[in-house]
Amino acid sequence: MNKLTIYIDDKQFQAEPGKSILEVCREHDIEILTMCHLKGVNDVGACRLCLVEIEGMSKLLSACTTKITANMVIHTKTERIKKYQRITTELFFAERNHVCAVCVANGTCELQDLGYKVGMDHIRYPFLFPKCEVDTSHPWYVMDQNRCIMCTRCVRVCNEVEGAHNWDVKNRGYQVRIISDFDTPWGESITCTSCGKCLQACPTGALWPKAIVQGQMKKNPEIIDELMERRKMIL
Amino acid sequence: MNRKKIATVWLGGCSGCHMSLLDIDELILEVAKLADIVKSPIVDCKELPDVDIALIEGSVTSDEHMNELLHIRKHAKVLVALGDCAVMTNVTGMRNYFPLKEVFDAAYVDAVSNDSEGSVPGHPALLHLNDKVVPLPEVVDVDFVIPGCPPGADAIFYVLSEFLNDRIPDLNETKKLRYG
Repeated sequence: MNKLTIYIDDKQFQAEPGKSILEVCREHDIEILTMCHLKGVNDVGACRLCLVEIEGMSKLLSACTTKITANMVIHTKTERIKKYQRITTELFFAERNHVCAVCVANGTCELQDLGYKVGMDHIRYPFLFPKCEVDTSHPWYVMDQNRCIMCTRCVRVCNEVEGAHNWDVKNRGYQVRIISDFDTPWGESITCTSCGKCLQACPTGALWPKAIVQGQMKKNPEIIDELMERRKMIL
Repeated sequence: MNRKKIATVWLGGCSGCHMSLLDIDELILEVAKLADIVKSPIVDCKELPDVDIALIEGSVTSDEHMNELLHIRKHAKVLVALGDCAVMTNVTGMRNYFPLKEVFDAAYVDAVSNDSEGSVPGHPALLHLNDKVVPLPEVVDVDFVIPGCPPGADAIFYVLSEFLNDRIPDLNETKKLRYG
């Protein structure tokens, strides 16, 4: 297949058509910040962290959902992008109730790591302190809406990998929430298989097993891609 | 060179940040070479005098904290928010999801240890809790922040020594940024 020539941060690359900008960047170790991207499931461009500048376009586009085209000129580290990444990160923290000190994922959280990467030392926006539900009805697992950033990685893993579609999304804007079945307690779900993939996919401490306490959560989101790769071998 | 003056203040926090400050151990001698600690929970001083650096632990939870913080802002050249509570309310802000009355009742009336005889204390000398807890940057201009619960002793010493030597610290550049 004819490869396309593209330019990323003033360097020339050859890449196969059909690939996303993010895929090409990851292949060549060009750092792009992401939260909602999870290798093994489809991209939805929800978190807006992977925004890149493409010459000839006034809007910033998400690298995960934008396919490369011939002679595309892409910039990934401009001041404009860094500014938006910092704003997005701060809004993640301000929107719900992220109390790192009492969180199971403290120290292993992708949201914390993101804050360090963009150099966020404080949040410039007022905290909303929304009242969020904590669903402990499942015998083994907990869903804490306080710590959810709506990346929907759990929704996509449950739907695309496990095929159960227990998780979905309700409402819009700041009232948006992850729901189990028809917004019923997780423990009463008739679709959940208790496989635990959503816990591995979750970047924060929103989904976690009851058996652990503060700072003990070790997640392995790479397991999702491993599973999908092994399935390809069987097929 | 003029000796600098440092104050450390404990607002709505657990004193863990001050414990972390003590964890700088013998490095406190390096601080003492350049500065005097003129106000601190361990210094007998009622009102904050003019200082060069004020390290402030905890968030603003009451009228007393609010007045103290406004006073500090007037008298401190560099105001440093120390720890997650001061920077982003952290655990102290977890009561913001509930009405104040529920918070009081949970502690003073409904707690099992009260044996059903508890009542909310109302002595006029006591401070009055605000409805909502806010971090320092929502009340005053903050010059520098050290997040962390608690911030590491090395981060605190680094920031102090940079300011004492008339340099601007950079936690991000020195990989000392931490929350939780």
